[in-house]
Amino acid sequence: MPVLECKGLTKRFGRTTALDEVSLAIEPGRIVGLLGPNGSGKTTLIKLANGLLTPDGGYIAVCGGAPGRESHSLVSYLPERTAIPTWMTARQLLDFYGDFYQDFRREAAEEMLDHLGIQPGQAVRQMSKGTREKVQLIMVMSRAAKLYLLDEPIGGVDPATRDYILSTIIGNYNPEAAVVISTHLIADVEKVLDEVVFIHQGRVMLQSTVDDIREDKGMSVDALFREVFKC
Amino acid sequence: MLRKLLKHEFRATGRIMLPMYLVLLVTALGSNLAGRKMLGPSDILNILGVLIIMAFGFAICGVLLMSFVLMIQRFYKNLLQDEGYLMFTLPVSIHQHIWSKVIVSSVWFIATVLAIIAASLIVAFQGGFLRELFDFLRYFFEGLQKLKISEALNGTVYLLEFAILMFLSLVAFSLQFYAALAAGHSRANHKMLWSVVWFFGFQFALQFAGSLLIMGLDRMNFFRFFDCFDGLTPAAAIHVGLLLAIVCAVIYGAIFYAVTTFFLKKHLNLE
Repeated sequence: MPVLECKGLTKRFGRTTALDEVSLAIEPGRIVGLLGPNGSGKTTLIKLANGLLTPDGGYIAVCGGAPGRESHSLVSYLPERTAIPTWMTARQLLDFYGDFYQDFRREAAEEMLDHLGIQPGQAVRQMSKGTREKVQLIMVMSRAAKLYLLDEPIGGVDPATRDYILSTIIGNYNPEAAVVISTHLIADVEKVLDEVVFIHQGRVMLQSTVDDIREDKGMSVDALFREVFKC
Repeated sequence: MLRKLLKHEFRATGRIMLPMYLVLLVTALGSNLAGRKMLGPSDILNILGVLIIMAFGFAICGVLLMSFVLMIQRFYKNLLQDEGYLMFTLPVSIHQHIWSKVIVSSVWFIATVLAIIAASLIVAFQGGFLRELFDFLRYFFEGLQKLKISEALNGTVYLLEFAILMFLSLVAFSLQFYAALAAGHSRANHKMLWSVVWFFGFQFALQFAGSLLIMGLDRMNFFRFFDCFDGLTPAAAIHVGLLLAIVCAVIYGAIFYAVTTFFLKKHLNLE
């Protein structure tokens, strides 16, 4: 059963159609790149999967059900912005995630925070922007979820932090789960992807495995992306 | 899950309200000392004493203002700003989110009133104050013992009805702000401006609908219903009055609760 499935999914904001009849299915055990230029509808799709938006048409299912309270306990979501309360200390953040998510692995999170040199009593507001993003990612990846939805996890950070983030994702996700990484920085994520979905102006242009792209097209995902989305 | 939401909501708000109460009690203690020891022939001590008493006044205004600001700010910042991305993806329902906010706000409103009463007692405290207080309590309880069972029962029920009315009024008071914020933040732009517009729009609509309802009921001679109060004892009439006020508070709160739930469920539009 797909962990994320859309059929004819449509979302409009006023006269603008952000998603237009999107249909796709993501199976467990895959790392999928949701790739497209800025404003292509990636974030809208992820918000719909999280129940943060309601669709205007079509159907979206997460682990077999509509997004909502039940699916939230199965999905680990990294928003594109820092959403963790900045007044909390690292310890309070661990308490928070531990209280609400039964699948939260506190020891794993503590180990990663310790590796970054973050003291349990340090407040999030005292951390740099990059460290906050790392802490948020640590919380998200410390869950043994069925689906990880990561919205622009490597956007706006330096190359060293990008490597840290990607290694944290690969080293900590539940292997039976699917990971969806939304980004336009293809070259950085290509090496970790099993599958890609190209999205443009709210429509799915392509869904394929990375191996098929390399064999059939004879080019990397990055090169194909540049060709498809050439201005 | 509501219990967990309440735990973290109290943790988020307590770090602000508890130090405010501490300041209030310390300035109350200072005012007591200023009133008893400082005000006198010395100009410097007089100025110092007046400043401390003024600080106590500011502290009272501060806790009242802060409990109000915090009620709005927690809903706005925790649910409608960036933190909303975390909160609305927790495995909890919209209803639990709303209840956690109204319960915590109401508890802080009540705690603020109690803290101000405690601070006022501290200011009034002087030699013999405790003896006078105990005397008052003794007379009060002696008076209670002389009451008939029906009077004691009525008094207890009045207190209960009044407490319920106060709590529901506080809940309804918070919900009218939450409804306006939720509606305003469903818009794409100028979210706070739209929230203010919705707030005044709701007030206008409710007053208009309320006036129409009263006029309509009057034409239907509904208010003859109150003629049946004539046969009631004063004690029973007060009960009926309090119960009617409770029903009104429930209806008022339920309207804003429904509006808040509708916008957060169907038209959530985080930036």
